[in-house]
Amino acid sequence: MLMTRRGFTTALAGTVAAPALIRTAFAQAATVKIGMVMPMTGAAAESGSFAQTGARIALEQVNKAGGVLGKPIELIFEDDQTTNPGAVLAFSKLASQPDIVAFLGSIRSTQMHAMAPDMLKAGKPVGFGGTDPNLTKLNNPWLFRFRPNDSYSGRVIAQYGSKELGKKKWAIVHSTDAFGTAGAKALTDSLPENGATLALDQGYANQSQDFTPVVLAVRQSGADILGTYFTFETDLGIFARQLRQLGVTIPWVGSPSIVNVSALKLAGPALYNTYGVADYAEDSSDASRAFGKVYREVRKVAPDNQSSWTFDAVTCLALAMNKAGSTEPGKVREAMLAIRGHKGAEGEYNFDKNGDGLHGYNIVKNEKGDIKFDKRLDFTPNLG
Amino acid sequence: MDLALQLLFTGIGIGSVYALVALGFVLIFRATNVVNFAQGEFSMLAAFLMVVFSVKVGLPYWLAFIVALMGMALLGAVFNLAVYYPLRHRTYLPVIISTIGASIFLANTTLAIHGPEPEVLSGWFDTPGFLLGPVYLDSQYLLIIAVTAILVALQYWFFEHTLLGKKLQATSQDKEMASLLGIPVATMIMVTFVYSAVIGGIAGILVAPVLFVSIGMGAAIALKAFAATIIGGFGDVTGAIIGGLALGVIETFGAAYISVPYKDGFAFLVLIAFLIFRPQGIFGERVAEKA
Repeated sequence: MLMTRRGFTTALAGTVAAPALIRTAFAQAATVKIGMVMPMTGAAAESGSFAQTGARIALEQVNKAGGVLGKPIELIFEDDQTTNPGAVLAFSKLASQPDIVAFLGSIRSTQMHAMAPDMLKAGKPVGFGGTDPNLTKLNNPWLFRFRPNDSYSGRVIAQYGSKELGKKKWAIVHSTDAFGTAGAKALTDSLPENGATLALDQGYANQSQDFTPVVLAVRQSGADILGTYFTFETDLGIFARQLRQLGVTIPWVGSPSIVNVSALKLAGPALYNTYGVADYAEDSSDASRAFGKVYREVRKVAPDNQSSWTFDAVTCLALAMNKAGSTEPGKVREAMLAIRGHKGAEGEYNFDKNGDGLHGYNIVKNEKGDIKFDKRLDFTPNLG
Repeated sequence: MDLALQLLFTGIGIGSVYALVALGFVLIFRATNVVNFAQGEFSMLAAFLMVVFSVKVGLPYWLAFIVALMGMALLGAVFNLAVYYPLRHRTYLPVIISTIGASIFLANTTLAIHGPEPEVLSGWFDTPGFLLGPVYLDSQYLLIIAVTAILVALQYWFFEHTLLGKKLQATSQDKEMASLLGIPVATMIMVTFVYSAVIGGIAGILVAPVLFVSIGMGAAIALKAFAATIIGGFGDVTGAIIGGLALGVIETFGAAYISVPYKDGFAFLVLIAFLIFRPQGIFGERVAEKA
């Protein structure tokens, strides 16, 4: 039998493409895949395991309720090694799998910034937890945030410390990464409208072994209240202990890491009587309590925001795909932006045009290691 | 003045930790002419062993300390047999790569067995510290400084006044000549690895109550200790101590008076300056000559 050039080319193309086509067809028939970038190794490996648990709880609930478009969802995990290059590599591995229809990015803003260009190229919806306000202003239509951004946390910290606690002279200690810098700026910007002033703006590099110079700067600043944005719980633990040892006892309102399970365990009494803005507070709503109950049954420890945002992200992505009636990225995006009043573990989701789903924070207090819900402060979003 | 005294105390405390880990670097370098990049993981592993025996098993603190160090001695011996010994006749590069591989293996094995959760380890004393005038003295840092001083003195006595110490020195200076004189070189190198693992272990256990016990704790300390070793003079015990203390004090004062975010930068600026202007370090010979 003679083979023509066209026939040969067609056969060659078919041979090359067949495995991918078969794999894609098989995958389409089997599950709806969601890729998740998370730390399995490195400094944030523990919080990564919490995030994984939150996502798995959502997966079980979604699948129990019928899955997505009649198929079960499946989570594909990749380790970001708690580094920016690791995160980029992990996302690239996931993005190269054509059968993955959506992604979960990082809770760390700096990693989100690193991955954002590739996420734009991938052109599929990405749920993430990083709270740098700039992340949803990158003209990247695929990013959807499942935690309130730091423009809200800054406003809530400033308002609570200045109005409720009556303190007007602030020392701000923050990580110099994208999260810490953006958070500190948001807090600084919110001070004047609350009649408060800035006594100290002190950045630090992540994973420091000693905070004595930072604590002494706070002590010398004459501040009567402390606001913090810490990225890693080990840093927060070391800082909290040294703060108390060196005699600084001014009120302290921190970003969500101050009420994380790991931070509470490491710092212990050094964090007693501190306040925190918490996107997840177990007693803040029925949905939060319900998530907390399931999480405690699975992990035997209290839940925190590391797990609640991934729970909400998987739930909302599944909801959007079902509403869209498709996993086609553009349709899922439209359905995500149309979500209104969805009651998640972190709060009520109303996505604005930038992709921000939440617009307020809870205030909680550490009472001898127990995190007590105080109040929730919500802001009216522009849903355009 | 109060501020400077507080910073000086903290700088010497953290510098003592660097010095202890640097000692491990120096001992192995002197014996084998290679840098053991798993030295930081020795500290991390000892801290985790201490958590296991003290917190999980419930042994008395002193007994857990001894058992953990015995575990480190065993690890040092196994490390020598598995990582160094098979490559002892090769150039320094394969051995260094082997220690880097071992470092990654030890960290990931600990991660797989224990999980990623950081742990809290209490210190030797119930009192966390006390005020001496305006300066707060952390009791754990006081212990670290005291132990470092004692170990340096013991090490001096051991190397200068015992037969075993002199055999170790002879082995580090010229293996072939030592062998011709009847010194069992392989055993001496084994002893060095065991001793270095124990020293690294002591550093890890002592610093754990301050920095917590985590998978990454060893790498963070070892990087600075490595810099301290170069500053002090590679292969020189006194240099490692001086280099560690200097690094701790420089980075603490630099952070307080110049910039906190660039704290780590000061340490490595000093390192770069030494590599350019005095590559032999304060006391040692040129790194290039050793390599």
